[in-house]
Amino acid sequence: MATTVQMPKLGNTVEECLLTAWLKHKGDAVAAGDILAEVETDKASFEVPAPADGIVLDTFFDEGAVVPVFTSICVIGAAGETIDETLTPGPPPAVDSLTASARPRPTDSAGWPAQALGQVPDIEARPAGTVIPARPGAGRAALSPRARRFAREHDFMPPEVTGSGPGGRVVEADLRALFGTLPRLSEAAGARASEGAVVPPDGSGIGGMIRAADLGAPAARISAVRQRIAERLRDSLGSTAQYTLNSSANAGGLLAVRRALKSDPQTAGITIGDLVIFCTIRALGQAPGLNAEFTGGILCQHSAIHLAFACDTDRGLMVPVVRDSQRLSLAELSLRMRELAEQAAAGTIGPDDLTGGTFTVSNLGSLGIESFTPVLNPPQVAILGIDTIGLKPVRKPDGNIEFIDSIGLSLTVDHQIIDGVPAARFLNVVRHEIENAPQLCTT
Amino acid sequence: MYDLIVIGSGPGGYEAAAHAGRLGKKVALVEEGRIGGTCLNVGCIPAKAFLRSSRLCRELREGACYGIQANPGKLDMVAVVERKNRIVATLARGVDELLADAQVAVINGRARLTGRDQVEVGGERLQAANILIATGSRPAVPAIPGIGSGNVIDSTAAFELTEIPARVAIVGAGYIGLEFATFFTDVGAEVAVFEVLPQVAAGCDRDVGDRLRQSLQRCGVTFHLSCRVLGIDGRQLSYADSSGQRQTCSADLILHATGRMPVVDDLGLERAGVDFSAGGIPITERGRTNVPGIWACGDVTGTHMLAHVATREAVVAVNNMFGKPDRIRYDAIPAVIYTHPEAASVGRTEQELRDAGIGYDRTVVPMGVAGRFLIENEAGSGFLKLLTGARYGEILGVHAVADLSSEFIVAAAALIEAELCVRHAAEIVFPHPTVAEALGEALRRAQQGRQS
Repeated sequence: MATTVQMPKLGNTVEECLLTAWLKHKGDAVAAGDILAEVETDKASFEVPAPADGIVLDTFFDEGAVVPVFTSICVIGAAGETIDETLTPGPPPAVDSLTASARPRPTDSAGWPAQALGQVPDIEARPAGTVIPARPGAGRAALSPRARRFAREHDFMPPEVTGSGPGGRVVEADLRALFGTLPRLSEAAGARASEGAVVPPDGSGIGGMIRAADLGAPAARISAVRQRIAERLRDSLGSTAQYTLNSSANAGGLLAVRRALKSDPQTAGITIGDLVIFCTIRALGQAPGLNAEFTGGILCQHSAIHLAFACDTDRGLMVPVVRDSQRLSLAELSLRMRELAEQAAAGTIGPDDLTGGTFTVSNLGSLGIESFTPVLNPPQVAILGIDTIGLKPVRKPDGNIEFIDSIGLSLTVDHQIIDGVPAARFLNVVRHEIENAPQLCTT
Repeated sequence: MYDLIVIGSGPGGYEAAAHAGRLGKKVALVEEGRIGGTCLNVGCIPAKAFLRSSRLCRELREGACYGIQANPGKLDMVAVVERKNRIVATLARGVDELLADAQVAVINGRARLTGRDQVEVGGERLQAANILIATGSRPAVPAIPGIGSGNVIDSTAAFELTEIPARVAIVGAGYIGLEFATFFTDVGAEVAVFEVLPQVAAGCDRDVGDRLRQSLQRCGVTFHLSCRVLGIDGRQLSYADSSGQRQTCSADLILHATGRMPVVDDLGLERAGVDFSAGGIPITERGRTNVPGIWACGDVTGTHMLAHVATREAVVAVNNMFGKPDRIRYDAIPAVIYTHPEAASVGRTEQELRDAGIGYDRTVVPMGVAGRFLIENEAGSGFLKLLTGARYGEILGVHAVADLSSEFIVAAAALIEAELCVRHAAEIVFPHPTVAEALGEALRRAQQGRQS
């Protein structure tokens, strides 16, 4: 009896995943636990293990497909086993409601080519002089039978087409009109464009034909993680009234603590960043107004400090969350942050460790940044940027000038909720905590 | 005040002037020598006229192969030169008429730029909104002691030869040297070619160069490759051979054909602020120099040194001058060497593709696949090499060594220009029987190779 493998649900809020790579293909022998595929959610990537021993009898989606959770993605069984009974490529949704890229790839017997549904067209199937949509992507429109035939016969389906038929249905005339107006590509340019190369509006060939050399570098498919980052940052700037206050704290004590910690192998891994975050958590305990979320006109202050920290990974920015950080000792905090950062870097971090933060810290100090403008992570109302440590002249009580080690702090807050004075006061509390680090860290 | 002053009347200059004139512009064309430039007077056209006569010499000798018993005729070089002059004169009249029809003012004299929009000719200053420099090139004189001796000539002087010497030494195995090697050997001279590089026809696909050398060797040409000419003393040419040994060669005539140099001196380019070097005037794909309003085309740019490139660059420059955006694409420029056998190429060579790290497939067909080739070339052989992109099957280069390949290489150029891939190019119907069918066969084989 064959076993179907479903797209797992990888977090409470995950509805669909990007199938990034097949590691096993049709006909491959697998053992239970072998990794079949890599999938990616908005937040992280995961591996799909084989649930049973056997042969991969068939796969139902191409790499790059966005697949709803609990949808069958492949089937494993004995060699030669028929898969008709088990073949259920996902809950069969109505065409209109399903994004094109979530449709199962047609099996060999199915006549309907994938590219006509907006997927990346087969290069070899594209005739000379056909037009390629200027922006590759997936279409969603429902097509009339004649439009489908036109699309199939011309290997043509633009990513965006306005249907003039009933209910926005795309009819043949809509496709014909676009077919004649989109830029004309040479066959070689068309082959590259279908793989994502960026098509300019005008070409250098005869009569303005777009030639291969005119194309921009192949546009890399941005990962689901990057898309999510882009959306969130745009939303952040669009939905809040952000402003940033810059200050600094005497870092002499911080450096002394760090030196002391370094001498003990148990605590040698604790960084300046860890220390500043530890101080920030303490400051948030005294100024709960900044440990809050504002959404839909409702402000929610939290007593638990779920501290989110920005983490640079190969996949882009990730923001793991240390839950109930106020309960952790400095060493525990440092250890937890390191664990989460490693998981984020490896792409194995769970979605639930990437959500639920109440306040965010972004540390660019280690890269020598003296001051920056952290972008809020809504619905949070504040984010603290940690800057580098540098020398700063200060006037001593005796009137002489001395240079001290000083660490910069950049606090961005949402003016909708936090006015300047309370924000400045909070920054002062953080500064106080940092300057008193030797006392608090020895306790 | 002219809309355009063109300096130089070669295939770049006269086409530019005529094109601008037809657009209704006020145009002056300044030429210090004969209308038509190098190509028409002392280059492409005379060379091909000479080669037609030498081919007939060869064909008469080979007549028996075709069932014709003929006496190997007697070469009359005076008549050959006269015929060449008649052809040149006919074509020059055609250019004169072209310029007259386009109402171009032809000014005889030497032009110098005296500013961004000013040209001085014979003491007279002419103003123009645009200046196109199309001064072409001249034979490069190699730095060889004795190069100025009486029996040393360049290609220009060779077109006035009224006698064929018994032994000819040619310095340089580029296309000019090779074409003269074919000419002299076909008319019965003993020919030795000296080349500093290890191969002939540098810049061509390596297989093309090798096959050309082999073919010419079979016709009797001696090649001294990787050798350095040390000096010329009367009829003695001394050279260091590939192992560095000093050798001598006796020749009744020594032709130097070591390339051509852009004519950039004494043009007032510095005064007008035009960037240039001994290697030429750099231009953009739209024909612009660094100075707005000053344009250049053809050999003076120092790049392709091909008449047909000059012509296209000229038209591109004029179009851009007068508001019609245009640009030249250099990836589909055909080039022909009119040796026996001819070599014709377009696109990239295997060496260029390897250097650029481009994955490619190579399909080589012997010319014997085309019946017409066998019919036309009883004793000949040749090949056609098709280079296609490994991933998409686009046509990257076509290189042929075969007589008549000059006449169909443009088909390959069109395929590259249109960026057709083999899958569809293989659907093109070739007339039968033609030599060009070798290209059709190569396309079919390349497509079969992709399917298998």
